[in-house]
Amino acid sequence: MELILMAAYVLVWPVIVIGVLAVIIRAFVKDAREAKREGRQII
Amino acid sequence: MVLLMLLFFGGSLYMSIRISRKKENADGYMTGGGKIGFGISAASMTATWIWASSMYASATSGYTYGISGPIHYGLWGALMILLIYPFGRRIRKVAPKAHTIAEVMFARHGRSSQLMLAGSNVLGSLISLTSNLIAGGALIAMLSPFTFTQGIVAIAIGVLAYTLWSGFRASVLTDFAQVLAMLGAVAIIIPVIFFAAGGPDLFVTGASNLTPQQGDFFSSDAFFNQGAPYIAAVLAYAIGNQTIAQRLFAVREDLIKKTFITATVGYGATIIGVGMLGVIALYAGVQPMDGDVNNLIPQMAATYLSPLLICVFFVMIIGSLSSTADADMTALSSIMMADIYGQNIAGKKNANPKTMLLVGRLTMVGATAAALGFASMQFNILDLLVFVGAMWGALVFPVIASFYWNRVTNVAFSVAVIAALAAFLPVRFEWVDLSGGLGIVSDVLSVIGIGVVLALMSFGFFGLKVAIGVGAVSIVASAPFAIGFLHTYPVLSGSLVAYAVSTIVCVAITMLNKTRRFDFELIKQRTGEFDTAETEIMIETESAIKNAEAAGDGALAGKDA
Repeated sequence: MELILMAAYVLVWPVIVIGVLAVIIRAFVKDAREAKREGRQII
Repeated sequence: MVLLMLLFFGGSLYMSIRISRKKENADGYMTGGGKIGFGISAASMTATWIWASSMYASATSGYTYGISGPIHYGLWGALMILLIYPFGRRIRKVAPKAHTIAEVMFARHGRSSQLMLAGSNVLGSLISLTSNLIAGGALIAMLSPFTFTQGIVAIAIGVLAYTLWSGFRASVLTDFAQVLAMLGAVAIIIPVIFFAAGGPDLFVTGASNLTPQQGDFFSSDAFFNQGAPYIAAVLAYAIGNQTIAQRLFAVREDLIKKTFITATVGYGATIIGVGMLGVIALYAGVQPMDGDVNNLIPQMAATYLSPLLICVFFVMIIGSLSSTADADMTALSSIMMADIYGQNIAGKKNANPKTMLLVGRLTMVGATAAALGFASMQFNILDLLVFVGAMWGALVFPVIASFYWNRVTNVAFSVAVIAALAAFLPVRFEWVDLSGGLGIVSDVLSVIGIGVVLALMSFGFFGLKVAIGVGAVSIVASAPFAIGFLHTYPVLSGSLVAYAVSTIVCVAITMLNKTRRFDFELIKQRTGEFDTAETEIMIETESAIKNAEAAGDGALAGKDA
């Protein structure tokens, strides 16, 4: 049990990182589409 | 490695060229116009806060303090971003179109407060830039046939090339690509190294390599040496770091909360995750090359990763240091543009946006040259960093109070910061013998400092009444344990004393001000865009006059001939 918990403690961070990455990519795509629709640069 | 560097910096340069304008706007160069969307701002905040040194330091913490080490580095670093966001919303509300916090301090108090903050920002960004170049140079020297000096020059030129023309706009856009590379690499590298080093069985076979403190998740060693000093620094680094302030003024106002929360989670997971490489190294019995713990991460990569994944690792480190280095360059340029040229040399009304852009670009070149000089001399930046950290700690209460309390004066602000620095230095560097009565005085101030730190953290989220309650309870609860003991931890005590003294002095002098009250609406009028329609007309008129004069001179010259 302790081994599983320790392994989870090490491996949970990359999983959270993937989640954050997904949020950022989704938001970026939305920003890019909005900018294109409005005919302006994204930044 | 050369191909990877060319791809990385070439790609960043290409992105920067895609958004560049022949005629850049001074406000866009500093804050991107203040209307940046969630995707780019969250990516940029995350990328900027993650720097190569934080990855190395988290792994070092894991290796030194064991399983709780990465938490005591990464969690508190992440909370810096989260805890500053309520203050960020207030700062943005009173100064929606500012570019730097120092600029707002000029509007609130005057020159001395502004220059104290701007000076500490400049030093901090220069140190960060130097540190990133050193990390990159060391990595290139370790993983390629090139020397350290060739490495730092290549990185400096690469970052400068894509940031120089469009400034902040280029910095935040390339941050998006860099965050993809960094976070993507972290997600792959950590599990690969974990399983290559032995997987879950490592916790059995390597358990004997850990001391009882290293194997304890609630290690007091880790807390007092790593976690607690970092908690004390949480607000100081966030307030003192212009790269964070710049993004605060750049993101659309309604997206501040979302951006800060995403960056908090992104930074925390990435840095704690990388710190796990230090824990794995400890269990695996890895000895740092040449006894230098900064070699741990590259060593783990070289030992456990395939050549392809070493390339991914290389991109992760180059991404982390480039995203912070370009943010430092744009932070420095915006301070020189807005605070030095805009407010102190030309004056807000007479500042010429074209000259501002020139000042910004020259600053970037000058800052890069200075950082290259410091990095090549292997200049010891640690003492300077401690001093800058203390200065930021001394600034926290006066800066935050200045945004909420209309009685705080320029004298209260300036004297509080100087007094706090004067108290910090002898405690931090143990210039005085703290074993006797002075140690007790230091401990009492440190206990007040604990109250101030926790009260400020609560104040941002819950308001004044809760903050005063939290502060009072923390002081009473910590006093019996801390007095007579805390001075044996000079790093922690020094920071706490700085907080306590700046707060006591600032409050005392402010209370003497019975008559003057500041109207926060004035800040909106005194800060704002430099590149307005008015300045455009003024510049065009001046240019037309100059052209007419030149034409007149030419005609005259022709006649003479």
